[in-house]
Amino acid sequence: MPAGSLLALLARRVASLGLTLLAASFLVFMLTQFSPANVARETLGAYALPEQVRALTRSLRLDDPILLRYARWGGVLLGLKADPLQDPRLGLHFTDPRGARYFGNFGYSTLFRAPVADVLWSRLANTALLGALALAVIVPLSLALGILAGLRPGGLLDRLISVSAIAMTSVPEFALGVILVAIFSVALRWLPGTSPLTTGAGWPLASQLVLPVAVLAIYDSGYVARMVRVAMIEVLGQPYIRTATLKGLSRRQVILRHALRNAMIMPFTVLMLQINWLIGGVVVTELVFAYPGFGRMLLQASLFGDVALIEAATLIALSIAILTQLLSDIGYWLLDPKARG
Amino acid sequence: MRVGRSGVAFVGLALILLWVVLALAAPWLPLPSPTAQDYAAFAHPGPSAQHWLGVDPLGRDTLARLVWGARVVLLLAPLSVLAAYAVGCTLGLLAGYYGGWTDALISRASDVILSFPVVVLYVILIANIGPSAFNIVIAVVLAAAPGVGRIVRGLARRLAAQDFIAAARLRRESGLYIMVVEILPNCRGPLLTDVCIRLGYTTIMIGTLGFLGLGLPPPSPDWGGMVQQAGPMLTVYPAMALIPAGAIISLVLGFNLLADGLSEAP
Amino acid sequence: MLAEFGGEPPLASLRRQLAEGRIGRREFLRYAVLVGLAVPEALAEIGAAGTARAALPQGGTLRLGTRVKDIKNPHTYSWGAYDSNVCRQVCEYLTLTDHDNVTHPWLLERWQVSDDLQTWTLALRPGVKWHNGEDFTADQVIWNLRRLTDPAVGSSFLGLVKGYLMREVPDGTGADGKPRTRLVLWDAQAIERVDAHTVRLHCHSPQVAVPEHLFHYPALMLYPGDNGVFGPGAQGTGAFTLTDFEAGKLARVRAVKNYWGEGPQLEAIEFIDLGDDVSAGISALASRQVHGLVDTDPMQYPALHQIPFLQFYQVSTAETAVLRVKLDAKPFDDARVRQAMRLGLDNTEIMQVALRGLGTAGQNVHVAPVQPDYGRVPAVRRDVAQAKQLLADAGYPTGFETTLYLPASPGWLAAACQAAVEQWQEIGLRVKLSVMPGAAYWDVWTKVPFGCTLWYHRPLGVMVLGLAYRAGVPWNETGYANPAFDRLLAEAEGTLDAARRSAVMAELEAMLQADGPMVQPLWRTLFTFMDHAVQGFTMHPSQYVFGNQLALLAG
Repeated sequence: MPAGSLLALLARRVASLGLTLLAASFLVFMLTQFSPANVARETLGAYALPEQVRALTRSLRLDDPILLRYARWGGVLLGLKADPLQDPRLGLHFTDPRGARYFGNFGYSTLFRAPVADVLWSRLANTALLGALALAVIVPLSLALGILAGLRPGGLLDRLISVSAIAMTSVPEFALGVILVAIFSVALRWLPGTSPLTTGAGWPLASQLVLPVAVLAIYDSGYVARMVRVAMIEVLGQPYIRTATLKGLSRRQVILRHALRNAMIMPFTVLMLQINWLIGGVVVTELVFAYPGFGRMLLQASLFGDVALIEAATLIALSIAILTQLLSDIGYWLLDPKARG
Repeated sequence: MRVGRSGVAFVGLALILLWVVLALAAPWLPLPSPTAQDYAAFAHPGPSAQHWLGVDPLGRDTLARLVWGARVVLLLAPLSVLAAYAVGCTLGLLAGYYGGWTDALISRASDVILSFPVVVLYVILIANIGPSAFNIVIAVVLAAAPGVGRIVRGLARRLAAQDFIAAARLRRESGLYIMVVEILPNCRGPLLTDVCIRLGYTTIMIGTLGFLGLGLPPPSPDWGGMVQQAGPMLTVYPAMALIPAGAIISLVLGFNLLADGLSEAP
Repeated sequence: MLAEFGGEPPLASLRRQLAEGRIGRREFLRYAVLVGLAVPEALAEIGAAGTARAALPQGGTLRLGTRVKDIKNPHTYSWGAYDSNVCRQVCEYLTLTDHDNVTHPWLLERWQVSDDLQTWTLALRPGVKWHNGEDFTADQVIWNLRRLTDPAVGSSFLGLVKGYLMREVPDGTGADGKPRTRLVLWDAQAIERVDAHTVRLHCHSPQVAVPEHLFHYPALMLYPGDNGVFGPGAQGTGAFTLTDFEAGKLARVRAVKNYWGEGPQLEAIEFIDLGDDVSAGISALASRQVHGLVDTDPMQYPALHQIPFLQFYQVSTAETAVLRVKLDAKPFDDARVRQAMRLGLDNTEIMQVALRGLGTAGQNVHVAPVQPDYGRVPAVRRDVAQAKQLLADAGYPTGFETTLYLPASPGWLAAACQAAVEQWQEIGLRVKLSVMPGAAYWDVWTKVPFGCTLWYHRPLGVMVLGLAYRAGVPWNETGYANPAFDRLLAEAEGTLDAARRSAVMAELEAMLQADGPMVQPLWRTLFTFMDHAVQGFTMHPSQYVFGNQLALLAG
């Protein structure tokens, strides 16, 4: 693939990103139609009178036809339209310091009663920290395990690592979270049992991150390690590796100079896809550890029926997933000389 | 080497069969009802002569709930994977065999769904349409069918270019006949491994939904829900949560080991 | 309505009852304050005045685990302990119902009620100042009360006062062609300014619970200049000011100087969001990440109970779960079926399972022994044979199938329902559970044929009976309509003689035991655990936290 085709790939991907986001946002919006949650009742509580609930439903424009609401939401997001909920006459006290009309206006979260932009980014940053740390563990761990296993397929070490890797991917995150808390917080008291990211209690931030990162990393490392192992076995069987060995290079040199680079290609792709898994994994992990992140927010928003927040979270999760896939394609292109043609 | 591998597969199969046998035998096993509450055992929920694995926070026999819960998961997981395969194979065959617009439409739609982080998709779906066995099947189909479809599409495209398909076309066989009789059976090998992996993953997902409080409504025994309900007792009666967690792990491990053995087999 | 015996004024009657030993000191205090005696004077009469508080340590930051919900619009708070506990430290109420169910004047110095219970005169406490130094005035109180009763604001306070301060007026026709109505104050002078420090409420019907209503959690006195919006730096009369807030994560209040009342000792309080997972609360306490929890679930008790550095606090309440039926829905329209449902349950066992013993068994009467007007009724017993017989008589010899609707939170409701369903199996009732998201349930709670409704604590039994079982009232979720019951209830509401009132209440309770529309299996004991370092805490039946009373031991 010449450099020109890389640009074409980019253009195609960006267009498909736009289409995917459009389709997904529509899908999610339609789904919320079935939601048993009732935003106005949830906001006003059990004691509010039915007429009060109806009045708030009207002010929030929740009784409009769903297609109209979707169109309005899209218009507000693209900055074509001012967010009608910010109208001070409605008495909702919805104000956004960025104004009522700007590009990327995700609207107002009915759950947090704050602009989605105020709620979203800090939680996303918290989750990004969690994800980045998890990747920082997953990459070296899975590479080391995968390479060690792939060097001598069928050997004792390989069997040991392979079965451990399968075992690691067989433990659901919620079970792992419960088990780790039982060991490290309850029995040993080495680590805090929750991670609210406040340091007033004397637990440093780092200590609060250990268990959530471990939960995310253990599950994924097993999966990626198996991929690395398969790739390694494949590469070591290639003719040019045999040639290199025949040329008299030491096994160590062969592995470091030739095999690793080539064996990286497939796991790299897999690894980028892991970001998608990580986003899902944080929902459970953040719930177990009371971590103030993106996943827990999404769960809360879904149960509350907060359409604006669900939509924003979905679009961001999808964008991250699609962009990392694009990155993985570019990385593939850079890593694999054959792909560049 | 083969022996070691198939040994692993054998362990996997044994784990699965253990749960299948328990699940099938559940009505005839000398166990209390999975919803019966033993008020006497309530204060001492640990293992005892009456309750081999102890009782849950509401005084219900853990072993009985595990065994009856196995029925739930061993029915729901295969059923939903089967349904996902039915939908996925149909879409994959259509896309792979006909290509063109059919392919483009199905592939784009699949891409949208595959871009969702899976748990996110499940949470949004179940939170909106409500937790029930039927809706869990729906969610699994929606989340998994595009993945299956993508594999089948790839296989179908490769096969469609081969001689025996061309021969069938010359015989003027219908598209349906070619897809179902000629192409599908040839996808069996790669799909078998995928089925096992998906069964394992669906088991995890059903457990996760239960843990998030989006599982089957009470009092159905639900392994993920059991872990969640026993969570607060972790410091006092760790076994209460660790036993159902272990049950999920063992079943998923069984599926994954079997998948591993199948993929390594000749 | 206040039918005083022999024309004796309420206070004199109370003093006589106290002297004759017919009421206890707590009952005297409760009722004397209710009819207008100031608390210090009432305390002096029972000889309990002047108990100086032990010297409390100063400083420190108290960390409490809770949910941190949106707190921007105090007048529309809907989550009781969750949202109001933060604002409660900054803004205050006119009255205060304490952990003993005694309602005191708070921002008021005293109140006076006319003998017909229709005119309430509220005298503001002198010397109360906003954080900016301005005086707290009658005009500000009126601004708050008018805002709370404005339907457009959406405060649940409106639901409480609808029956005596509001009336419905026509408001055109709705989209469906039906005439619409809206609620307005029943009279322009309903909330009257007497002078700069006195406000008078004129009700169109008698109401005994006005002071309790003024402590309903949205009824916070806000600074009019803040326009009903609360946030960091908002004005208040309280002991703290809000410095940091992030919904779903953290709220932090810092002590102010020159608070008008006692305290504060603490330098700051942090409310930390621990999410919905009850296990997280245990982990946070065990790891000393928080000093205590605002809200606890019975399932947390076994674990927290074992942690050596925690102190257990509890209070018996009238909070309960009512398994209630709709009287116009088959088969519940048959009194024998309802009686069979009551006889089919062992209330003690259900309480043991659902609350892990942290409560008391209910007697299917919805008046709690902790409520001062409770009248003794015989305890109920499970009788499977008789229940089956009643079902057979009603035409259901093999029982019947039905669905019980319940909200997903709090979690102990589901535990109680599962225990009940299990026991009902023995009399042939096959009940399926349908768990609904909380808000979805609260939207249909007065409509479902068979539901499990959570009723919060209220200081008096008559308040609950009047809200839930009087014919035609908005929260009568069962359609119970019994003229004899309503007559007796009115009599109970107008009786101050404790013994006589309890006797009337016992009659009312007996009626509910005989043909009532519900099973009411348990009373909840609310509890929490706090670090031993926390001083001055008492468990409030509504889980309210009063930060100005708290202190932290150093170390």
